[in-house]
Amino acid sequence: MIYRLQTVHSRQDGYERLAELARETSSLSASRLELDFSRVGFFAANMAAPLGAVLARVADRFNAIEVVNVPEMVEHILRKNSFLTQYRYPAMDDVNRTTIPFRRLQRSDEGLFADYVERHLRGKGIPRMSEGLGKVFKKKIFEVFQNAVIHSESELGIFVCGQFFPQKQRLDLTIVDAGIGIRESVRRFLGKKISSIDAIRWALQEGHTTKRGPQPGGLGLKFLQEFVRLNKGRIQIASRFGFYEFGNSQESFTKMAADFPGTAVTIEINTADTTSYVLTSEIQPESIF
Amino acid sequence: MSELIVVRVYDIIGGPLGVSADDGQRVYDKIAPLLDEGKMVSLSFEQVETMISSFLNAAIGQLYGKFPEDRIRELLSVRDMDDADLPVLKRVVENAKVYFRDPERFKKAIEETGDDEE
Repeated sequence: MIYRLQTVHSRQDGYERLAELARETSSLSASRLELDFSRVGFFAANMAAPLGAVLARVADRFNAIEVVNVPEMVEHILRKNSFLTQYRYPAMDDVNRTTIPFRRLQRSDEGLFADYVERHLRGKGIPRMSEGLGKVFKKKIFEVFQNAVIHSESELGIFVCGQFFPQKQRLDLTIVDAGIGIRESVRRFLGKKISSIDAIRWALQEGHTTKRGPQPGGLGLKFLQEFVRLNKGRIQIASRFGFYEFGNSQESFTKMAADFPGTAVTIEINTADTTSYVLTSEIQPESIF
Repeated sequence: MSELIVVRVYDIIGGPLGVSADDGQRVYDKIAPLLDEGKMVSLSFEQVETMISSFLNAAIGQLYGKFPEDRIRELLSVRDMDDADLPVLKRVVENAKVYFRDPERFKKAIEETGDDEE
């Protein structure tokens, strides 16, 4: 089949476009997908991660994928971040060093993910960030990756991609799984049919976790929210029909027009943040327990 | 009073990153038997640069499912932890105490506000 993708921004309508692609290709099997980019006027670099997750599902059903008619500007972005090299496009040097490349990792590749973070976030605003900010940001990224490892059940792996915007002093990083979605995890845990939006809302509450067994949880997303508030950054979560955004002290939960198969989390950090994250703790080690 | 055993997290996880629940589980598997035997344990975070909540939940939070709070307070201590990480550990511990007092409480909360389907 031929599918004509449209412009994909890093926002709700971008995820809806990719969810529509997932829906339209869902019954394609042992066939061929020609993904036509001729109507794509813009493609946000970090959105290569959710596109990668959608296309991994298509390929998993034994379909051959070809990406065609990519406008030059979009092609440059997606060759620099290595997304298009999967589809036999030549790599392109990232002269400005603003790319945080597309990678597909397995859930067991935690060591490789640590290498990815060390290697590709270095020099992306981090030297200009306070040391404390860089360190806290890395922790948040690991929290999000670990959430995908623990909760997603994604057999196709975890997809990451980002972009640094030196002029805007912003860095976007998106981590996506092709798993069951927050809705399914929460439904199984509660034994109750709830909507994607309510599932995301539930998962954002401190102490809420769908983990079973002896390990408590439910702090990672709360910590992420607190960090973003302090940093004046942004978080987006797209999972199944739910879209959540937090930024500029505003929070929104919206129902998406189509089902995004999996969970995507984008963290946008403000690299110009001068907040000191190395606070002298008022907590003494003796008073922890 | 038993002898204090210093357990070095860095040596257990084999590096400076405590960023997975599996690594946290390894730490738990080392310290839980010692606490079970009534040994005094000092958990050293020297050279551990990055820790996340999933790691600390597995390594330490999970102890509250096995041992009473006062037993943990009596036998376990932490040292060499970065000042910035102490509040995180404190919240992990508080969260674990609440969790193990009533692991089902979050299920009850949703029943009052639960929505249905999309």
